[in-house]
Amino acid sequence: MNIKLNNPIVRILAILAVIALAWTLRARAVDKLSIDYDEDDYTRAGQEFAHLIRTSNWSGFLETNYRPEHPPLAKIVIGVSFLTTPEEKLLADRPTTSEPNKYIPRPLVHAGRNVNAFLGGLTVALLAIVNPLAGLALATHTFTIKYVSQIMLEALPALTSFSMALAYLQFKKTRKTGWLIASAVFLGLTAASKYLYCVVGIAILIDWFMSAKEQDDVKPFFKNALLWSVLGLVIFFAANPFLWADPVQRLRESVFYHAGYSTSAEEVQEAGFPVWQVFNWLVFSPTVWHEDVFVTAPDFLITVLALFGLSRLWKKERLYIVWLGAAVFFLLLWPAKWPQYILTFTVPLSLAAAEGAASIRRSFIEWFKTPKTVYNKKEARQAIPWLVPGLLAFTVLTLLPFVFQLGVSVTDFNSASIRDGFQGGIWREVSGGLTGQIEAANPEFPFRSKEVQYTGFSGYLPIFEFITSDGILVFNILWMVVSSSLQALLGLGLALLLNQRGVTLSRFWQALFILPWAIPEFIGALLWLNIFVPEIGWLSLAAQKYGDAFLFKSFVGWEESSSLWFLIFLIPAIWYGFPLIMLAANAGLKTISKDIFEAAAIDGAGSWQTLRHMTLPLLMPLLLPAIIIRGIYAFNQFYLFQAFFFSRSTLATLSYNLFNPNSGFGGVPGGQFATSAIINIITVLILILLVAQFNRRMQNREEFRNA
Amino acid sequence: MRKISLSRQIATQLIFLLVGLFILIPIWSTFRLAFDGSLRGRPTEFTWLPKEFSTEAFLTVLDRPYQSVEFSILLRNSMIVSFGAAILAILLGLSLAYGFARFRFPAKQTGLFVLLLAALLPPIAFATPLYIILSLLKIRTTLLGLVIVYAAFAMPFAIWNMRAAFQAIPKEVEEAAYIDGANNFQTFLRISLPVSLPSIAVTAMIAFLMGYTEFAIGWLFVDKADNVTLSMAVYALVNGQFAGAQPWSALGSLAIIMTIPVLVIFILFQQTFMERLLFQEPA
Repeated sequence: MNIKLNNPIVRILAILAVIALAWTLRARAVDKLSIDYDEDDYTRAGQEFAHLIRTSNWSGFLETNYRPEHPPLAKIVIGVSFLTTPEEKLLADRPTTSEPNKYIPRPLVHAGRNVNAFLGGLTVALLAIVNPLAGLALATHTFTIKYVSQIMLEALPALTSFSMALAYLQFKKTRKTGWLIASAVFLGLTAASKYLYCVVGIAILIDWFMSAKEQDDVKPFFKNALLWSVLGLVIFFAANPFLWADPVQRLRESVFYHAGYSTSAEEVQEAGFPVWQVFNWLVFSPTVWHEDVFVTAPDFLITVLALFGLSRLWKKERLYIVWLGAAVFFLLLWPAKWPQYILTFTVPLSLAAAEGAASIRRSFIEWFKTPKTVYNKKEARQAIPWLVPGLLAFTVLTLLPFVFQLGVSVTDFNSASIRDGFQGGIWREVSGGLTGQIEAANPEFPFRSKEVQYTGFSGYLPIFEFITSDGILVFNILWMVVSSSLQALLGLGLALLLNQRGVTLSRFWQALFILPWAIPEFIGALLWLNIFVPEIGWLSLAAQKYGDAFLFKSFVGWEESSSLWFLIFLIPAIWYGFPLIMLAANAGLKTISKDIFEAAAIDGAGSWQTLRHMTLPLLMPLLLPAIIIRGIYAFNQFYLFQAFFFSRSTLATLSYNLFNPNSGFGGVPGGQFATSAIINIITVLILILLVAQFNRRMQNREEFRNA
Repeated sequence: MRKISLSRQIATQLIFLLVGLFILIPIWSTFRLAFDGSLRGRPTEFTWLPKEFSTEAFLTVLDRPYQSVEFSILLRNSMIVSFGAAILAILLGLSLAYGFARFRFPAKQTGLFVLLLAALLPPIAFATPLYIILSLLKIRTTLLGLVIVYAAFAMPFAIWNMRAAFQAIPKEVEEAAYIDGANNFQTFLRISLPVSLPSIAVTAMIAFLMGYTEFAIGWLFVDKADNVTLSMAVYALVNGQFAGAQPWSALGSLAIIMTIPVLVIFILFQQTFMERLLFQEPA
C-alpha cells in the first residue's frame, strides 16, 4: 500500500476516500446511536448559550457555564449549532448520576451531534494527510466514532490538541516562530474545551526538552517553553469568558471539582474499574452497547497493530509516542476511568497502528526474500535417522492433539455426541464442512444431538468477545509483563548487591534467596494462600488482633478490589520467580571480566556509571532468555490461580479459564471441548505473535553462534 | 574494585534482611500451622508460634493422607509417574535434539519454531485431545496414561534444552572424532552424550519436577484412588481444608513432606544445576 501511495494522485484519492468514509460512518452514528449519559447535560449547556446568542445577551457569557467543571468552549460550539433549530424548552437540571434522558428533542440531538461529528471528521482529515492508513484507522475506530458523534465534549479538544501537535511539529521542522504561536493558540483552545487533552501539551514539552538536550542547547528551551505556555494560558483565558468575572475562584472550583469527583463520586466508585482499565477499553468496542450502529469494529486490531508499530513510529516521530505514553500514564494514575478518555490518544494510536501494519508487511517481504538454509543432500540424509523417532513421538503426543483441537473447534462435539465423535464423526463433519459438502449447523445450547455437527467458525466470535470484553486477555498480558519485569528487577538487583566486593554473609543470603526456587510452584502458592485467604488467613487474623497498628491492614478485603487482587497475586509470583533471574544474573556477572571494572575504576567512573554503561549492557544479552522464559511462564500461569481456589475468572490467565469451564467459559454457549479448543488456538496465536518478535532476535544469536 | 563502604554494607544487609523476611514469611506461616496440635479446623486467632507444639499432623498424613490410601502408595505413584515421564521425554527427545543441533536439513528453522512454540504452550491446552486419545487406548486412568501425558508436556522443552546442550559442544571436538574414523552414532555415543550428560540430567530433573508437582490434569484423568499421586492428594487436602473437613495442620505438614525430596535434590545438584541451567536456557 505504501508503494502505491507514493504516487501523489493515488495519495490524494486515498485521503479523500478516508475522509468520505469518516463522515459517512459518523453520520450513521449520529442517526443511530441511542442517547447516552451526559448528553442531556451538554445539550442544556448548549441551549443556554444558544439563548444568549439569540437574545444578543453577550454579557450573559460571563455568568453562564452549565456543568462548570468543564470549560465552556466545546459547549459554546454546541450552542452555536442549536441556532439552526427552533428554540426548545430548557432541559431539566438533573444530577450526573441520573439515567440517560431519552426525551431530548430530536432537532437538538441532530444539530449538536452533527457539529461534533463534523469536527471529528476534520480530525480524521488532518490525520489522513499525515498518513492515510492512520486516517483509515481513526475513521473506523468505534470508540472514537461513538464519542465524537454524541453531544459530548470530546470532538473539539481532540481536533485542537492534534492541531497543536501538528503545529509544533511544523515548528520543529521549519523553526518558524509562526508555527509555535499557532501551537500555543491551539493549546489555549484545547484547555478551554476540556482539560484532559492538555496532556498533548505536556508531551510537546517533553519532546521539545529532549530535542533541546540532544542539541545541547537547553537554555533557550526554558525561555521559549515559558512563553509558549503563557501564550496558551492567555488564549485559554480569552476563550473562557466564564472566568473573566472571577478568574481565580472559578478556575479553582473547576479544577478542584475534578480532584474530588475522580476519587469520591458515586458513579466512579460504583464502576469499580481496575487501575489498568484504560487497556481494557483499548481491546473493547462499544458494539456491545449499541447494536447495528458500527459497520466494523477494528478497535482490537488497531491496538494490536499499534503494539507492533511503536518502535517504528518512535524512529519516525518521537512526539507521537511521548503523547501516547503520557496519556496512558495519566489515565493509569487518574482514578476515574471513563471510556471517552481514550480519545485523548486515539490519534497517535492510529498512527502507531499504521506503522505496525507497515512493519508487519515488511517482515513478510523479508521473510519471503530470506535465502533458505543451505544444506547438502548427504547431510540431510544423515539427519533422517536422528530425527525420525523424536518426530514420531512429537507428532503423536503434541501435533496430533493440536490438529484434533482445531477440528473439534469447528464442531459441536460434546458429551452427548461423544460416541459418534470417537467413531469418526469429527473427521466426517470437519472434512465435509471444509469442502463445503456439509452446511454449518447452528445448534441450540445445550446440545442434545447424538451426532457431531459441523458448526463452522461461528463459535469463535462469542469466545473472542468474552476474553476481550471481560478483560481476561488484558489481565493476562498485563500479568505477564508486570510479573516478569518485577521478577527481573528484584533478581537483577539482588545479584548486583550480592556481587559487591566484601559483602558479609553473601553465601548465606544467596542460599536463602534461592529457597523459593526449590519449592514446587503450587506448594509455594499454597504457602501464600495460608496468608491471604480471606477471613481466616494470617493476614486477616493479624488485622483482627492488632487492629490499626498492623502495617498491612489496608490489604484486608483485597478480594473485593480488582487492583488489589492483581497486587496480591503478584506477591507469590515474584516470590517464586525472582531466584531464577538472580541466578542467571549472578552467573552472568561472573563471566564479565574483572579487568573491565578495574579499568573503569581507574578512569574514575562512579558505580552508577559503571552499572549503566558497562555492567547492564554486558549482562542483558545473557539475562534476556531467562526473562523471556519467566514471561511466558507467567502468561501460562495456572497452578497459582488454581491453588487460590476462589479465583475470579476475569482476573486470571487464559489457561486458568481454559481449565475451569464452569467458572470461566460456562457463560458462553458452546460445548466445553470446543470452547477449550478455541481458546487454545487463540492463546497459540497470541504467543506466535509474541514469540515471532523475539524469534528474530534469537535467529541473530543463532547465526552468531554458528559462525 | 574497591571494597564497599560501611554505610553501603549496612544498607545492603538491611535490604537482604527485608528480602529474607519476604522469603521466610510464607514458609513460617505454614510451619506454625503444620506443628500446631490445637487445630481442629481453621485457625481462629493470630499466632506467631504453634499454640500447642505437636507432630501429630505429620504422623496422620504419613499414615493415610488421602481417603484410605496409604502414604507409601501415593509416594510410589508419584515416583513412577514423574520418573517415568522424565525418562520417556529424554529418550524420545534425545535423538531429535541431536539432529537439530548437528545437521542442516530442509525446514529446520520452521521445525525449531514449532518446537519452541510447543514448549511455550500451556500444557492444559492439550488436556482434551489427550484425554480422548488415552480413553480410546483404554489407559486414561492408569499410571501409564499419566506417564505419557506428563512426558508429552515435558518433551518440547526437553528437546529444546538438550539441543542447546549439544550445540554448546565445540564442532572441532566432534570433527576430530570423525577424522579418527568414528561414524555419527559412535561420535554421539562416545563424545557428545558423555560431555552433555550433566545438562541432560538437569533437563531430566525439570521434567521430573513437572510430573511431581502436577495435579490438575491428574485429577481430570485419574478416577481410581489407587492411582492418585502425592501432589493430587495435596490439592485434595486444599479443598478438604477450606471446607473445614480437615485441620489446617494436615495440609501444611503434607506440603512440607512433599517439598523435602525436591529440596534434597536441589541441594545435592546445586552446583551443576545452576551452572548448566543458566547457560543452556532455551534460546
